[in-house]
Amino acid sequence: MASNRRGMAVAAASTALVLAACGGGEGVDVDGDAEPGTEAPESPEGGTLIAGISSQPDQLDPHVTTAYASFQILENVYDTLVAPDPEGTFEPSLAESWQTSDDGLTWTFTLREGVTFHDGSEFDSADVVYSLERMTGEESSVAWRFATVESIDAPDERTVEITLTDPTPNLLDNIGGYKGMSILPEGAAEDLDLTTEANGTGPFTLDSFSASGATLSAFADHWAGAPTVDGVEFQFTTESAAALTALRTGEIHWTDNVPPQDVQNLEGDQDVEVGIAPSIDYWYLALNQAQEPWDDVDARRGVAFGLDRESITEATQFGAATVNQTAIPADSFWGHDYAPYGYDPEQARELLDSAGVAEGQTLGIMVVTDTEGVQAAQVMQANLAEAGIEVEIQQEESATWLDRQGEGDFDAFMWSWIGNLDPFGFYHAQHVCDGTFNFQGYCNEEVDALLEQAAAETDQDARKALYDQAAEMIVDDASYIYLYNPDVVQAWVPGLSGYEVRPDRAINFEQVVLPE
Amino acid sequence: MTRYVVRRLAQSAAVLAGVSILVFAVIHLVPGDPIRVALGTRFDQATYDALLERSGLDQPLVTQYFSWLGSAVRGDLGVSFRTGQPVTEVILERLPATASLAVAAILVALLIAVPLGTVSALRPRTVVDWFATVASQAGISVPDFWMGIMFILIFAGTLGWLPTGGYVGLTDDPVEWARRLIMPAVTIGVVSGSIMTRFVRSSVLEALGQEHVQAARAKGMRARDVLTWHVLRNALIPLVTVGGIQLAYLLSGVVVIEIVFRWPGLGQLALQAVQQRDYPVLQGAVLLFAVVFLVVNLVVDLLYARLDPRIAYT
Repeated sequence: MASNRRGMAVAAASTALVLAACGGGEGVDVDGDAEPGTEAPESPEGGTLIAGISSQPDQLDPHVTTAYASFQILENVYDTLVAPDPEGTFEPSLAESWQTSDDGLTWTFTLREGVTFHDGSEFDSADVVYSLERMTGEESSVAWRFATVESIDAPDERTVEITLTDPTPNLLDNIGGYKGMSILPEGAAEDLDLTTEANGTGPFTLDSFSASGATLSAFADHWAGAPTVDGVEFQFTTESAAALTALRTGEIHWTDNVPPQDVQNLEGDQDVEVGIAPSIDYWYLALNQAQEPWDDVDARRGVAFGLDRESITEATQFGAATVNQTAIPADSFWGHDYAPYGYDPEQARELLDSAGVAEGQTLGIMVVTDTEGVQAAQVMQANLAEAGIEVEIQQEESATWLDRQGEGDFDAFMWSWIGNLDPFGFYHAQHVCDGTFNFQGYCNEEVDALLEQAAAETDQDARKALYDQAAEMIVDDASYIYLYNPDVVQAWVPGLSGYEVRPDRAINFEQVVLPE
Repeated sequence: MTRYVVRRLAQSAAVLAGVSILVFAVIHLVPGDPIRVALGTRFDQATYDALLERSGLDQPLVTQYFSWLGSAVRGDLGVSFRTGQPVTEVILERLPATASLAVAAILVALLIAVPLGTVSALRPRTVVDWFATVASQAGISVPDFWMGIMFILIFAGTLGWLPTGGYVGLTDDPVEWARRLIMPAVTIGVVSGSIMTRFVRSSVLEALGQEHVQAARAKGMRARDVLTWHVLRNALIPLVTVGGIQLAYLLSGVVVIEIVFRWPGLGQLALQAVQQRDYPVLQGAVLLFAVVFLVVNLVVDLLYARLDPRIAYT
């Protein structure tokens, strides 16, 4: 799920992810009375929340779409077996509890009772088996998450057993990291046109979905209690000036279309409340290690020393970001504070010299048009000129960009992975030698061994130690040159409460109370 | 006349076939893999292969074209790669929004162009003419998206008279439909109207100089009648031509204005289809635009004969 605010239609489905114990958002006004998932508010406040999202969903089949905009809607319509809380810890959702066998190969989930789908039918284990099997199917965009799943069985109505070929400590992330793993009623794909219709167990029912927007109504029988608002209307506000004007006039109540350059102004604006939370997304630069001179680790380290992350962050996010030399923020559970590269053009030049990189060496940096990658590349161009590298900025629209990335037709590219919850999701396939997203061509047997070991380690602390070790090697080898974690910035009308900005960009409206 | 229409329709069919081949060739030449765009960076090879087969993209290009053409002549434009929805359905969903906006914008344009162009032709090289020239020059020069955003800031923001955007169907709520139509229609209408003002001015000037107009004046006909029956009638032909082209252009969607005003029109659909490499949707949309141009042109040509009896089609 790439953020469209940056114009990446791509989904890096990558995305998805999960969990990381990040700190919660700031400037957030959460309704303290209604603890999510425990009790229904006694008197629903009512009203329809109108949300302006910054791009248009392509379709609403949760197992097929990879667009973030689709998940902004689906988040409120469907449930998963487990779900991350704002700090990234997995909590019960449709599964009330779960147990892992001693060998780590069998996970048994006990399902919640008294859950009904929007059409009134009762939820049971057959629905879970149907949904999980659909996710592993050929046309599912989340099939890769089930690589270690051998079978999915339902011994009785309230129990689901997942059998694995290898221990998979990140299984909860794989089945509940975001709404791409939504549970549908058995036979839903035959009964409904899932691209435009939905039948979930979530807090809202989907009434309509069209090119103009999507309309949701409160589902009074939701297992966690009825939502506080009567409904939610999603509008597609792709132009930010228009979105902010609509917010000021009260035409919409909430939007995520807040350009970073406007944040400072908006913070002094009485008509708008801004919510900011550090995200678990990261932006990075990857050099093509199948190509000279970037196959030489000193050449890559030279580039890493030649980048001024502070200036890059200022140019792209106007400060609404945190510089980082590893993947995710240091204060999250999987974060690891390691920063060997100070901005130092002289040291950069020395390393480049030792790698035999001549002054005037060109480096094409491929970025997606209309994303913050363009501003970042401009700063890198100026930074690296000081170290004698001539950067050529290559802007491509996302479809072409993905082609070139897939074919290895680049010197370097800048990109992001978003919503990084479990390190398996953001280290493994990116950095093991034959990893499916290892487009940069990195290969270090030691890192492979560490990552393989970590992938199967069931003790979380031991697992973290392994990932920390691997992270340092990845950074030292400059497999990725990590740059920064952007903030999540959203805005709403003053007086709106019960909403929390989350590091994983999930948006949940069931507890929202509209202003008088 | 009938023979003329039949011949024009036959020509149109040939043009459409040519357009479809051209579009098909061009979209396949442009880099970018629709399946990869849909799946992003992270996917299983098996998923990729399955989607490739379902979309038919694993077939040779010529096979793909003819199977598309075979369905298209039967009215089936295929299904979107991205959503699996029938392309005709996707396009029809957007058509009312685009048609409302195009027609309203042309009306605004005519309301600007006809009076302004006529007045400035009647008083050439006066303050009135000077004002009309500057105004129409400004209307052409100012970027439409900027004008749209300014309208939003002023009329929706500061004054609060109109909603900032969005579309409501005419049958759902006629009042809201009209309120939401005003700003986008005026924005586009100002641009189109500015272009048309120049045409109206020059054709009215030309008509004024013709002998039969001088004769009508000389025989003492009232100035207003001369203008209505001899000048404007003759000036209409170029106006119909330019207006027709503008209308056809607007019916193909106006991407930037649609984005600014949250208008779910064909322009945004076509843009998304390009970005997502959704070939069937793009192919369907371009085919529709070609049909619109051909039909509008045919209607314009037929109107000529209606406006000027000296023109006859055989």
